[in-house]
Amino acid sequence: MSNSTLRAVFSDWRVVLMTVLVAFSLISIYFVPLSFDQGVTGNLQLGLDLEGGAWIQLGFNSEVVRFDTDRDASSFAADLGERLDAEVLLVDEDRLEIRKFYTQEELEAAFEEAGGTVVAYERGVSESTADDIKRILEDKINSLGTRDAKVNTLSGMSGVTKYIRIELAGADIATAQDIVGTQGKFEIRIQTTGNATEHVLFGDAITSVSTPSRGPGSNLWGVGFTLNDEGAQAFRNAALTYGAVDNPEAHELVMLLDDNIVYSAPLSPNLAGDLRVSTVRSLSASTGVGDEGLKEAKNLEIHLRAGALPVDVFIAGSGYVPAALGEHFKTMSILAGIIALLAVGVVVYYRYREPLIVLPMIGTNIAEIVILLGIARFIQQLDLAAIAGIIAVLGTGIDQLVIITDEVLHEGGIPSPNLYQKRLLRALGIIVVAASTTVIAMLPLALMDLSSLRGFAIVTILGVLIGVFITRPAYGKVIMALLSR
Amino acid sequence: MGFFTYDISKYPPAHMVALPLVLLGLSLIFLSFNTLTTGLPVDPGIDFAGGVGVTVFTPDSKEVLEEYFAGFPLRSVGESINDGKYMVFEQLDEEQFRALTARIEERYPDAGIDQIGETFGKTLQSQALLALLFSFAGMSVVVFVAFRTVIPSIAVVLSAFSDIVITAAFMNVLGISLTLGTTAALLMLIGYSVDSDILLTSKLLKRKGKLDEKLEGAFRTGVIMTTTTLTAVAAMFVVSSLGQIIIIRDISVVLLIGLVVDLMNTWMLNSGLLKWYLTASKGGVK
Repeated sequence: MSNSTLRAVFSDWRVVLMTVLVAFSLISIYFVPLSFDQGVTGNLQLGLDLEGGAWIQLGFNSEVVRFDTDRDASSFAADLGERLDAEVLLVDEDRLEIRKFYTQEELEAAFEEAGGTVVAYERGVSESTADDIKRILEDKINSLGTRDAKVNTLSGMSGVTKYIRIELAGADIATAQDIVGTQGKFEIRIQTTGNATEHVLFGDAITSVSTPSRGPGSNLWGVGFTLNDEGAQAFRNAALTYGAVDNPEAHELVMLLDDNIVYSAPLSPNLAGDLRVSTVRSLSASTGVGDEGLKEAKNLEIHLRAGALPVDVFIAGSGYVPAALGEHFKTMSILAGIIALLAVGVVVYYRYREPLIVLPMIGTNIAEIVILLGIARFIQQLDLAAIAGIIAVLGTGIDQLVIITDEVLHEGGIPSPNLYQKRLLRALGIIVVAASTTVIAMLPLALMDLSSLRGFAIVTILGVLIGVFITRPAYGKVIMALLSR
Repeated sequence: MGFFTYDISKYPPAHMVALPLVLLGLSLIFLSFNTLTTGLPVDPGIDFAGGVGVTVFTPDSKEVLEEYFAGFPLRSVGESINDGKYMVFEQLDEEQFRALTARIEERYPDAGIDQIGETFGKTLQSQALLALLFSFAGMSVVVFVAFRTVIPSIAVVLSAFSDIVITAAFMNVLGISLTLGTTAALLMLIGYSVDSDILLTSKLLKRKGKLDEKLEGAFRTGVIMTTTTLTAVAAMFVVSSLGQIIIIRDISVVLLIGLVVDLMNTWMLNSGLLKWYLTASKGGVK
C-alpha cells in the first residue's frame, strides 16, 4: 500500500475516529487497569452465566395500593391494618403498603368496609422498603463471607419495586437458597397478662448483632444486639407501659421467628433500672452456661440475623452456572464469534472476489465489535444474551457493508470522487433508516426490565449506533481510497 | 449467485404475492387455533410458564436420566451430539425445588440450573408481549416517516408482520417454545427483515431508471445481505448446539427460520406489492 493511499484513507475524520476508538477500547479492556491475568476477556464485566455463580430473584408477599378515601389517611391505614390483620404503612398521601399477600378483590372488599376505594393495585413494596430489604440482604451476605455479591432491586414504571435480584459469583445454588430460603420474620413481643403478648418491634429495628460472648467474669453466654432509635423507643415504651421495669418476671420478653418462640426471658434488674431513666440501644440476650449455653447463643444469633426482612418473600426465579460450565460457555461464545466471522468472510469473498473489499469489510466488522466491547466494559455486564446481541450486530454490520459496497461500486466500475460521494450518501441514507428501525425495535427491551434480555438489547443498540455513525461510513471511505488507486 | 434461479423481474405481481399470502393466512389460522385451544399462540417455555431447565454434560442416556429424576415432574430431555443434555421440569414449589437441586448436585455437580416461578413467568410474558407490540409499532412509525407514501410503507410493515407470524407458526410445528431467547429473536427479526425491505423500497422509489433493472439490482444486493446474515447465524447455531448454550441456540434457530421466511416475504410479497403499486400508479404496464 503506498503512502498516498494511506494518507487518503486517514484523511477522513471517521477513519481516524474509528482507529482511535479501537485503540481506546483495547487499552481499556487490557491495559487500564492491567489485566493480563484475566485471560482473553480482560477487564470486561462478565455475567454470572459466563463467570459461574448463582442468582436468585425474590418477589414480595405484599402490595402497594393507590387509594382514595374521605377519611384521614393515617387513621384509614390503621383501621385497614386491623381489618386485614397485617402491617399497613402509608407510603405517601395516597399510597399504602400492605405487608401481607391479598388479591385485589380481597383488598377492594376490605377498603370498601373501611370507607375507601382501591385506585391501583400492584404486587411489590415501596422503594424505601425495598432499600431496607436490600440493605438487610447485603448485610446478611457479607456476614456469610460471600466474596462477590450484587443485590439489585427491579422496579416498574410506577416506582413500585417488584423484585429483588441477588447474584453471587462463585457460589452454588444451595448457598443462594440458604441466604433467602430460610428467611423468617423476626419479632419481639412482651408478655402483658397471663399468656397474652403485645408487639414491641420487628427485626428491622435491629441494626447489628454480635457473635456469642461471655460477660467479664461470667460463665453466662449471650448475644449482644443493637436497636435503632425507633426500636429502642418502642422497647422502652413497652417495658414502661406494661410494667416490665417494675415486675420483670411477670412480663417476659419473647422473641419469635415466623411466629415460633425462639427465646423468652425477663428483663435483667440492671436493664430494668436503665430503662426507667432512658432508652437503651445495646442489649444482650443471655442463653445459659457451658456448651449448651454457647450452642443456644449461636442459634439465637442466627435467628436475630435471619429475622431481619420486614416483608415475606418468595423465590420468583433462580439459577446456577458452575464455574466449569461458565468457562465452557465463554470458550464456546468466543468460538461462535470467530466462526461466524470466518463464515461471513467466505461468503463475502465468494461474492466479490476482491481482497481489497473483503479485508476492509471483515476489518470494519472486527473494529465495530472491539469498539462495542470497549464501551460495554463501562456500562454493561456481558452475559450470554449480550453475546447473542454482539453476533446480531455482526450480522447487521455485514448487511450494511454489503449495501454500501453494492451501491458505490454500481455496475462494477469505480466512479469519480463526486459521484462516489453521492452514492455513498445514498447508501448511508438506506442504512440510517434500517438502523433506526433496529434501534426502535430494541428500545422497549432496553427500557423494560425483562431481566436477561436487557443486556442483549443494550448491546444491539450500542453496536448499531457505533456502526451507523462511525465504522460503516469509515468503511465507505476506506474502500474508495483503496479501489481508486 | 449461480445456484439461485429466481428471476425477479419476470413474474407478475399477483404470482409473486400469492405464496407468501397463502402462508401468512395459514399461519394466522394456525396461531389463532392454538390461541383458542391453549390460550397462547405459541407454546410458552419455562421463562414464561414457569419451570426448571437443567443443562448438563453426561454420557448417561435419556432413560437413565428419566429414571434418576423419577420423583420429579420431568417434562422433556433434549439431547445434542456431544453428550449435552437439556432437561425441562414442570413448575415446582420451593421445597420440591430444593430437593431437586440437592438431587442434581449429588450426581451432576457440574449442571447448570435455571428456575422460573409461575408468577414471575407471567410477568415476563406480559412484558414480552408489550415489548413486541411497542417494537412493531415503533418500526412501523419509522418506516412511514422514512417513505411518506402509504402503500410502500404498508408493504414493508406487512412483510415484517408476516415474517413474525410465519416464523411463529414454524416454531410451533417444530416444537420450539417461546422463551426470552426466542422473543429476542423475533424482535431481532423485525430489525433484520426491515433492512432488506428498506433497501428494496429505497431503490425502487427514490432512484431513476427502469423498474426491472432496479429490482434486479436490489435483489442481488438483498440476497447477498441475507445470505451473509444467514451464514453468521448458522455458525452461531452450530456452535451453540454443540456447546449446549440454550439461549443462543434458541435465538439462532428462530433467526434461521425467520431469515429464510424473510427472503420469501421481501422478494415475493414486498417486491410484488411494490411492483404492482409502481406499474399501476404509472397508468398501466410499461
